[in-house]
Amino acid sequence: MGLLNFTRDPVPEAVSGDMHNLNQLSAQQFSALTEVLFRFLTEPKEVERFLTQLSDFATMNKISLGPLKNIVKSILLVPNGALKRNLSSEQVRADFIALGLSEEKASYFAEQWKVNSPTLTRLAVGQTLMINQLIDMEWKFGVTAGSSELEKVGSIFLQLKLVVKKGSQLENVYVELTLPQFYSFLHEMERVKTSLESFS
Amino acid sequence: MAALRDGDFAALQILLKAPSKDAVRQLCQECFSSPPAALGPLAQRACPGLAVSAEEAEQLVSALHNLTRHVVYRGLTRAEDILCLFPENFHQNLKNLLTKIILENISAWRNEAQASQISLPRLVDMDWRVDIKTSSDSIVRMAVPTCLLQLKIQEDAALCGNNPVVSALTVELSKETLDTMLEGLGRIRDQLSAVANK
Repeated sequence: MGLLNFTRDPVPEAVSGDMHNLNQLSAQQFSALTEVLFRFLTEPKEVERFLTQLSDFATMNKISLGPLKNIVKSILLVPNGALKRNLSSEQVRADFIALGLSEEKASYFAEQWKVNSPTLTRLAVGQTLMINQLIDMEWKFGVTAGSSELEKVGSIFLQLKLVVKKGSQLENVYVELTLPQFYSFLHEMERVKTSLESFS
Repeated sequence: MAALRDGDFAALQILLKAPSKDAVRQLCQECFSSPPAALGPLAQRACPGLAVSAEEAEQLVSALHNLTRHVVYRGLTRAEDILCLFPENFHQNLKNLLTKIILENISAWRNEAQASQISLPRLVDMDWRVDIKTSSDSIVRMAVPTCLLQLKIQEDAALCGNNPVVSALTVELSKETLDTMLEGLGRIRDQLSAVANK
């Protein structure tokens, strides 16, 4: 096996056997299986649904679930590696062929890869580490009517509640701003937006 | 907030023993700014300058504190209103001097009262930086801009006395989060303008 694009590590031995089994599927069956796989890849949280769909596929096509799961594991190696390395669909196709998949099926999978890769890339970027991510911001503003030190006040206050994700927990941070501070904050955030846009 | 009591004006007449007008002025300022708990020590410090007993000093300091805080509370700004507070038989010159000193300081004192109001933790400073993420364990090559925002937040001044606790919170915002935040801030600005124009 030549150099693969999706990984630098040696591929498990079982993979070529799995590819051989895959080649035995009809084009229709392969297309149905590919659909199930991509639905899972684009919604990785739906594990239950994925397993159900695999089991349905196994039953419908009279394949045992155990070997099917192994085949699926082997197939998934390629898109996972491809995602990490931003591979093109030609590279994905070449890798499947190098692993032993038929040209027809490899081309089909590569096509599906091309269609789905924007969604998959966005998902992967979304998974990238974020420190103290700001999840939500709630606000209220009002007028201070009076206080124990001043009978009549009439000043405007603005209160922000920032919901921050610290590790796996959410923390609420409460801040109060005066009006000039608010305008200054707004101005700075607009500058940030301009900066971020110039880099996108 | 302390209310004016009957004995206060009697105690104020102790000021007639003060060495100078400036001493009176100084004492007024210290009495306003001092929280009730710190009036005791303040009285002790004022004692020698006034040549009065410890007890008299305490009564005076307390009376001055009450008077100045009362004026600020009611928001009195005219000389007539302040003069009205004093009883009929109060020493004329002292009354005028105190009124004059209060009028000189009233707006600074008002600002001081507003600044030390209770509130949620206050924003004291904010800094930001924009980073470009180029690589991560989930994607080897990318160019994703992200914003790091640092907010310096000060706990309620009244709770901390002279050592306000300032904590720094650094938050990361993606472009989408920033856009949503700006939308919210824009809405606040629009509502503020609507309120201001009413």
